[in-house]
Amino acid sequence: MKRLIPLVLIAPLAVAACGSSSHTSSPTTAPAAPSSNSSATTGSSSGGTSSLNLGNPASPVTLNESGSSLLYPFLQELVDPLHSKYSNVTLAPAAGGSGKGISDAIAGTTQMGGSDAYLSNSQASANPGLLNIPIAISSQAVNYNVPGVSNLKLTGDVIAQIYQGKITKWNDKAIAALNPGTNLPSTTIVPVRRVDASGDTFIFTSFLSATNPAWQSGPAFGTSITWPAVSNELTANGNPGMVQTCQKTPGCIAYIGISSEDAAKSAGLGEAELQNKAGNYVQPDDSTVGSAVSAGAQSIPANLAAPIIYEPGAQSYPIVNFEYIIVKNKQSSADTAQAIRDFLAFAVDPQGGSSSQYLAKEHFVGLPSSVIPQVQKAIATIQG
Amino acid sequence: MQRRRQLTDRLFWAACGLAFLLIAAPAISVLVSVFHQALPALGWQLFTHTTHTNGLENAILGTLLLLLGVLIVAGTVGVAAGIYLAEFATGRTEKMLRFFSEVLAGMPSIVIGYIAYLTLVVQFRWHYSLLAAIIALSVLVIPYIVKTTEVSLRQVPTSLREGGAGLGMPRSSILGRILLPTALPGIASGLIVALAISTGELAPLLFTAGSSDNLPTLQLFNHQVPYLTNVVYTDLALPGARAHATSAAAGLFSLVILVLLIAAGRLVARRARRNTARMSL
Amino acid sequence: MTAAVEQRSGPAGRFLSARTRRLSELTGRDRVLGAGLAVAALLPTAALVFLAYEMAVQAYPAIVFNGWHFFTTKKFTMGNLYGATEVRSGYKAAAGASFGVLPLLFGTVVSSLIALVLAVPVAVGGAILLVEKLPRRLQGTLGVFLEILAGIPSIVFGLWGIYTFGPLLSRTVYRWIADLGIPWLDGPTGAGQGLLTASLVLAVMIIPIVASITRELVRAVPAVSKEGAFALGLTPTEAVRFVTLPYIRTGLVAAAILGWARALGETMAVLVISGNALNIYPHSVFDPFSTMAATIAAFLDSALTDSTHMALHALAEVGLVLLALTLLTNFAGRLVARRFSDAGLPVGRGV
Repeated sequence: MKRLIPLVLIAPLAVAACGSSSHTSSPTTAPAAPSSNSSATTGSSSGGTSSLNLGNPASPVTLNESGSSLLYPFLQELVDPLHSKYSNVTLAPAAGGSGKGISDAIAGTTQMGGSDAYLSNSQASANPGLLNIPIAISSQAVNYNVPGVSNLKLTGDVIAQIYQGKITKWNDKAIAALNPGTNLPSTTIVPVRRVDASGDTFIFTSFLSATNPAWQSGPAFGTSITWPAVSNELTANGNPGMVQTCQKTPGCIAYIGISSEDAAKSAGLGEAELQNKAGNYVQPDDSTVGSAVSAGAQSIPANLAAPIIYEPGAQSYPIVNFEYIIVKNKQSSADTAQAIRDFLAFAVDPQGGSSSQYLAKEHFVGLPSSVIPQVQKAIATIQG
Repeated sequence: MQRRRQLTDRLFWAACGLAFLLIAAPAISVLVSVFHQALPALGWQLFTHTTHTNGLENAILGTLLLLLGVLIVAGTVGVAAGIYLAEFATGRTEKMLRFFSEVLAGMPSIVIGYIAYLTLVVQFRWHYSLLAAIIALSVLVIPYIVKTTEVSLRQVPTSLREGGAGLGMPRSSILGRILLPTALPGIASGLIVALAISTGELAPLLFTAGSSDNLPTLQLFNHQVPYLTNVVYTDLALPGARAHATSAAAGLFSLVILVLLIAAGRLVARRARRNTARMSL
Repeated sequence: MTAAVEQRSGPAGRFLSARTRRLSELTGRDRVLGAGLAVAALLPTAALVFLAYEMAVQAYPAIVFNGWHFFTTKKFTMGNLYGATEVRSGYKAAAGASFGVLPLLFGTVVSSLIALVLAVPVAVGGAILLVEKLPRRLQGTLGVFLEILAGIPSIVFGLWGIYTFGPLLSRTVYRWIADLGIPWLDGPTGAGQGLLTASLVLAVMIIPIVASITRELVRAVPAVSKEGAFALGLTPTEAVRFVTLPYIRTGLVAAAILGWARALGETMAVLVISGNALNIYPHSVFDPFSTMAATIAAFLDSALTDSTHMALHALAEVGLVLLALTLLTNFAGRLVARRFSDAGLPVGRGV
């Protein structure tokens, strides 16, 4: 333990020296330090890992994961570093949507389910012993394909009306009222939704429910909801599918997870500025996401199922969420359990998976220091 | 009158020619289009890298492994059932068994996949596995093997059976030494049809084989299997030219396997024709 | 001589005496072999029975829960999975769950019907050309198109539909059709995904089945009949119309029914080009729609997140309807083939 302290002090310097661009500037500006490499975070994580009984398992273990396409690129990044730290642990991630992740974890088809959505009450009561383990924080953007229009401002209420079929043209007065001075075309709006059971749908519809009462009492939120019938609505499979469909369809509007945002931008899609609870229009980046997290991290329930949608704060971004790994606390063998604990501890470790090196690529943010002890306690309950 | 009839004649054959073009054009268009889309991804790395790094090595091996499994399982059961129907069954039993086999042939593959998922994958706790996938595919293709086996055995002249019986050979010997070798080309073509169907199937495999970025293992249970059509489907949803080209390349490989199977089928048919020519005494 | 022997003993493959085929009269090794083969022969039947039974068992809770609503409502939704659960007819489901199969049934039947109407003339015309007009040598080579079309994976057809066929059609043919302003044939054509494109791709997929069966049927028409027609002075077209077509009529119906059954069960190609519209009927041929098979494939993952499992049972009910429809189609095909088997021209029989 004592050996870690000098490492802890050198690490932020080393990371800063590597020059990982804008991400390193945020620890100094955000007071609550939600991002990965501030020293306050590292202190608590190194203290908690001793009770987790980590270490290289005796025999090789392959950890099968499926689920969130928002989390998937991040997990792909962690495969090699995890394997080099624990040579007997191989992570095998797959996508398929958060709903699939949850159901695969419930059925035992995979050991871990990646999900942007926490378990519902009925899922949790039907499966006691199934844990929500947050490992990172992500966000979601609303993208559009309207050539010639940039910096579009939208509110959750207006977006809900678009997905209800009430607003059908881009130059509708409701949209024009939010964007005075912008020349909006009369193109028909083509809303795109996810066809798979999706955590992105979960957080998107949570946002719509928080801002539009008719949506809250109607479709409400979930990984699969009853979408209002809109005649030219398109469907897509996974976040990359959303990017692709929106790229091919002029006039489209789509909700896309932040890890696919680079692809969306290079596909020529615009990123909307969403109105937050304080009334300001913000786009997702580390500081706006961090602001939302620090507001939401005040009250995390014991089961770690915490929505952080539409949080207060002048600069808070409205669509922010924890990325969960859904896993059973009773595993088939001690080796599997240890491998899972190894992976989860590594993922939330600011020196490990939650270092800016991995988070920045997906525009994720590390867990706030206040949450990590709770997460480690949950990880410790995973036994074989 | 004569002129009108001749005109009708010409028009009809022109229409038939158009119809034939409408059959050939999509076939050519699919081949060309898939090849064109796959072009950027073609290269040796498809054989040396797994799908984790934009290769297809694991998917190709996985598909071949599934085909081998189908050959073993469906081939054995299908040929055995076909032999029974042709040589041993009588009367109503025969009619009913054949009827049910043909009805099974019309079963939608998604239904087979769905039930295989609920029973093999979940209830039996095999999870996504090689065996579940092989069984689902086998149920799908067995009727075709049964039919072709039965038809080929029936085409063997009775005189050969009578000759064997006259020599005092037991049924099993007649079957093994005379009938099966003669009917082999027909049986082989049935097996080839079954393999061609298995190469192209996706719906039943989605819920039984899962998906994997690693090389396939020979583990029958609890291990997901990579296969080509899955890559076509999943990479289809990924953005970027690279993934699209890989998806098309996977499609191209399944077409390559198909063409090889068709060619094998033609060779077998030629052998069969030579055999029957030799057999007409 | 061989033919005479065969005729005397009945269908090929039978011994002169039928008695020796009963298992009880076989000895030793043959008995074991016969028993083993019998087990194998029972497996397809067992699989069929098991599939139908399991589907019915899985669908039962949904059948009770939905009642007749299944066939009268167009809303297909699992309800609010993050909300409370409700109990109806003794079964638990998420609040607001409602399962109606009508739009799926509509989409399945309409797309298959359009595919059939388009595929049959093309397949029959092409097959007749292949057999009647083309020289022997070319028949084998050009017949390879049919084999290729038959073997192309369904998802590759989907790939082709999205990237080549659909965009091509929406840029050209669809624009012209939509400009005509006929109801049902107008509306935004989009990127080419929708009812018409999916039906066209389905048509391309069922052409090989219909065409290859037609090819065998036309080949089986006795040459004597055709020669007689030519001797009478009929043009080749008239020979086809008065000799070939009546001869193959029932076979054609059976082929069409087989093709339709294939279109009904088609999943992956439809899944990626149909647009997966739910709870809505397509108002024009260019609109997105849904079929039963594609919905089962697309919805399974979502259904698994329903902890009351009612969504799974509802999908099984959809599968049961699909199964029933396919089985009915197959039975109908078999009935047609059997009923008309005494029809056909007497010319050529007994000669």
